Amino acid sequence: MDRRPRPPLSRRRMLQASALALPGAWALASCAREQPLGAPAPASSAAGAPASSAAAAPSPSATLQIASPQNPVKWPINPGNEPIASGLEPEANATLRLYNFPDYLDKAVIKDFTKEYSDYNVKVEYSTFNDYSEAMTKIRSGTVPYDVSFLTYTYIAKLVYGDLIRPLNHDYVPNIEDVWTEFQNPWYDLEWQYTVPYVIYTTGIGWRADLISEDIGALANPYDVFWDSAYAGKLAVLDDNREVIGMTILRDGGTDVNTADPAALELARDAMLEMLGMTQPRVTITGYTDIPEGVLSLSQCWSGDMITGQYYMPEGLDSSVLRYWSPPDGRGLINNDFMVVLKGGENPVLAHHFLNYMIGKDVSLKNFSWVGYQPPLRALTPKSMVADGYIPKNLAGAVVQPEWFKVGYPLLELQPQVQAEYDAIWQQFKAGA
Amino acid sequence: MGDRSTRLLWPILGLPAMVWIALFFLVPLYVVLCVAFGTSDPVFRTAIPIWNPLEWQFAQVQVVWERLFGADNFYLPVVLRTIVYVVLAVCGCLLIAFPVAYFTARFAGRFRGLVLALLIAPFIISYMMRMLAWINLLQPDGLVNSIITLGGLLPLEVNWLSGKPYVVVMGLVYGYIPYMLLPLFVALDRISPSLLEAARDLGAGGVSTFRRVILPMSIPGIVAGTLLVSLPMMGDYFTSDMLSKSPKTTMIGNLINLSIVSPGQAGQAGALLILVLLVLLVPMVWYTRSNARAEVRS
Amino acid sequence: MTVSAAPAEAILDSSRSPRRRALRGTPGAKAYGLATITAVYLLWSLLPVAITVLFSFNEGRSRSTWQGFSLRWYTWDPTGSIINDESLRVALLHTFVLAVLATLITVPLGVLFALALDRWRGRIPAGANFLALITFVIPEIALAIGLLFMVTYLATPFGLGTWAQVIGLVTYQLAYPIVICRARLLTIGAHYEEAARDLGASALGAVRRVILPMLFPAILVSAILVFADVLDDFVLVRYLSSDASTETTSMRIYATARAAPSPALNAMATVILAVSILTIVVGWLLFRRWARRQGEKADMGSLASTL
Repeated sequence: MDRRPRPPLSRRRMLQASALALPGAWALASCAREQPLGAPAPASSAAGAPASSAAAAPSPSATLQIASPQNPVKWPINPGNEPIASGLEPEANATLRLYNFPDYLDKAVIKDFTKEYSDYNVKVEYSTFNDYSEAMTKIRSGTVPYDVSFLTYTYIAKLVYGDLIRPLNHDYVPNIEDVWTEFQNPWYDLEWQYTVPYVIYTTGIGWRADLISEDIGALANPYDVFWDSAYAGKLAVLDDNREVIGMTILRDGGTDVNTADPAALELARDAMLEMLGMTQPRVTITGYTDIPEGVLSLSQCWSGDMITGQYYMPEGLDSSVLRYWSPPDGRGLINNDFMVVLKGGENPVLAHHFLNYMIGKDVSLKNFSWVGYQPPLRALTPKSMVADGYIPKNLAGAVVQPEWFKVGYPLLELQPQVQAEYDAIWQQFKAGA
Repeated sequence: MGDRSTRLLWPILGLPAMVWIALFFLVPLYVVLCVAFGTSDPVFRTAIPIWNPLEWQFAQVQVVWERLFGADNFYLPVVLRTIVYVVLAVCGCLLIAFPVAYFTARFAGRFRGLVLALLIAPFIISYMMRMLAWINLLQPDGLVNSIITLGGLLPLEVNWLSGKPYVVVMGLVYGYIPYMLLPLFVALDRISPSLLEAARDLGAGGVSTFRRVILPMSIPGIVAGTLLVSLPMMGDYFTSDMLSKSPKTTMIGNLINLSIVSPGQAGQAGALLILVLLVLLVPMVWYTRSNARAEVRS
Repeated sequence: MTVSAAPAEAILDSSRSPRRRALRGTPGAKAYGLATITAVYLLWSLLPVAITVLFSFNEGRSRSTWQGFSLRWYTWDPTGSIINDESLRVALLHTFVLAVLATLITVPLGVLFALALDRWRGRIPAGANFLALITFVIPEIALAIGLLFMVTYLATPFGLGTWAQVIGLVTYQLAYPIVICRARLLTIGAHYEEAARDLGASALGAVRRVILPMLFPAILVSAILVFADVLDDFVLVRYLSSDASTETTSMRIYATARAAPSPALNAMATVILAVSILTIVVGWLLFRRWARRQGEKADMGSLASTL
């Protein structure tokens, strides 16, 4: 025990230090970055409740208007965020910044685009995120001027509320005619004010028939494989909290994959933790290469993953061993991604041109043949896609049928506090406790 | 007059680096505190830092504390797992590095320069490249599997990259062992051979020479190496990411890395980071000070 | 790479003294055992990397089956090679840009600080030195997250991207030149400077004409270390990157090693490795030239002894 008296100065020292620290804190506060929050007053019509001032404590009352097939929404257009004027020239010498999942857009299509717009000497830069929440965090931080992003409706109210996306000037996007009519007036964005559809997909199970002897699709409840210890160490689930929680709910006979009910969420969480114990799944979105290469025998995946997986088969192995299952009656997870023009981007006109370019029939088909994800294109009739040779017979289940959108379960946007619950469950799952 | 300008010269030379450290080391750490003790936006759930320490709120820290020691303590297994991995990896590093360093220091003879160069070589090979090397080897159809199955003859194929804890620990050992080797080598090299001869002359056998002379004298190297290896391991997330990707091998670093990019969790990531730093502060300060003292002595 | 100066100094110490070498133990049976362990270790440590380099020259797409020698993944593959895949090219280039910028800033900052510390006593420089050394051992993720938060929440004049990355790297690497130059300054001692002052040089003049030239090997070594270390950095550059144009090779490897890799990834890693080696060779040549001029011995040992 050190009995020497402490220097009496220490108290004064501390005061001195805090006297220095406070102005320091003040100086920091004065150079705090303005968060790119949309104009609060009018935006509140989109948000349902007034946005509390930035410094206030988190208000649990913040509610968002949620779009769903039963409750289609026409989003407001906030003052100061009007569409761009018609008839503008695309920005010259621009770098168009795309923000998307990895391997989710054909490089050759990008090359074609720069060629098509070579008069304007444009460059395209492809940056990637691993999941939507990461994308939202980065888009909202406003630190990078991305022009176009590929997102889904789980964030659309926030995107509109925060003025993070631009309303579209339809004059620049005539190719919308090539898209299925229901996607020209989708429930998540009536009159497609902000979005144009990119691809549609179901969530199901992909596997390699030579590594898995069972016919997963023929099981009474195919989702059960994730709780079957016979598959321990061989499988993976998607690195996306909504998809995994949604699948768990469906597996246990539920249908509300957007539930806010704490009891239902707790059940789902317990089931997910049980899954960890039973099969120790990996958590990844790279099933499209892992399954073909045999790193995984089986994985939760999106319908496009197995179609694109054909191109990742190791030499000497035929892609006919790939399988995909999602509920054949369409009562499974079914969603679509869309393209948006981000407000923070520097090239809004070129971004419009890019959207139009992407949904055009020929480009869309070319992109499909590379990414494997099906665009909602009128020229593509799902009934004949196997016969037309777009998709091999063994992967017929990966074709998304239009009528499934009437019975399937989309993953909707959640209220912020419910989303927080989902995130907490996910963190616990990923902690592997 | 000239003397004063001389006296001023040194602070002026030192000033740029000091300003740099203040701006880009102290301020960022303070911002982490402000985020950890801050709130979050009600809609986007992005962090809102609170700059004034008098107004700091403790909700985020409380959440982290709850998850560590509360009813729903799912952080705790991660912390324990990290500690187990780090301890195993440090032991692995020591067990491998000690004989290697000892050989290089005492017996390498005319190969000494070459061996030393090869020992240092991993320093200039990027960590990611070395992990990539192992991913290539450990793939299902990789070289390791073709060797142990004798080219597919034996049914011994192992799916190494499917979340095996021992693969992650092996990766940690492989990645960090150079930091163990160098200080160990230095410590062992300082042991004068005449001391060992004296021990032998006094009748000490091989084992007791090792136990009474070599081991005690290599303690500084062991301690320095252990610190240099374990401190970065505590923040490592990429080794587990590259070699496993399974929640079953999540480490503290993964937890922090995961929270940073998720909405509403930046503050928790900050709080967790601060807790980790607080725990690591003691060894960090100790190492830094002992190094500074050694410098003064030399 | 966190090597403190003390170990390096000791390496030299021993190789410099022939007397001690003579006293070194003679290899016996025990030594053969140890030699085997060492050989196995070196094999384990370097063979995987050698295989990675080898497969960067693979004719086919496989990273485990040899299909013949080719430069396909470096040059001629129309979409996947380093030359033709823009993302790989950009990553390589950006890695070098970061390494050069970070080295150019870190080394002068650190050298000046080391000079200051050599003469300036007191609490302030001691505290600053302490902080600089802490940056050495703090987990990199802490500094990276701190800077990420700083750029995100403060209106810094620089955003995420190249400058944020350079700033982070400089902060993280600053300890190298400080530690290495201080050690060298201690061995140089004060006599040279005092002699110069006696001959009428100003303090600044003495530093410039006498101390700095003697410090050259230390500056060189720290520059090499910083450069090679920045080439390998991952955590900082990843957190502080903005978009695809600020991705580095290590980020590419991390992102694609488990997704859709091709031998081009190996090729990229090989290029970085080659540049690291080249840096050391160039550093060595520069040192030899310097040593010749100074009339000093120019072998590896004496370069290392400057540490």
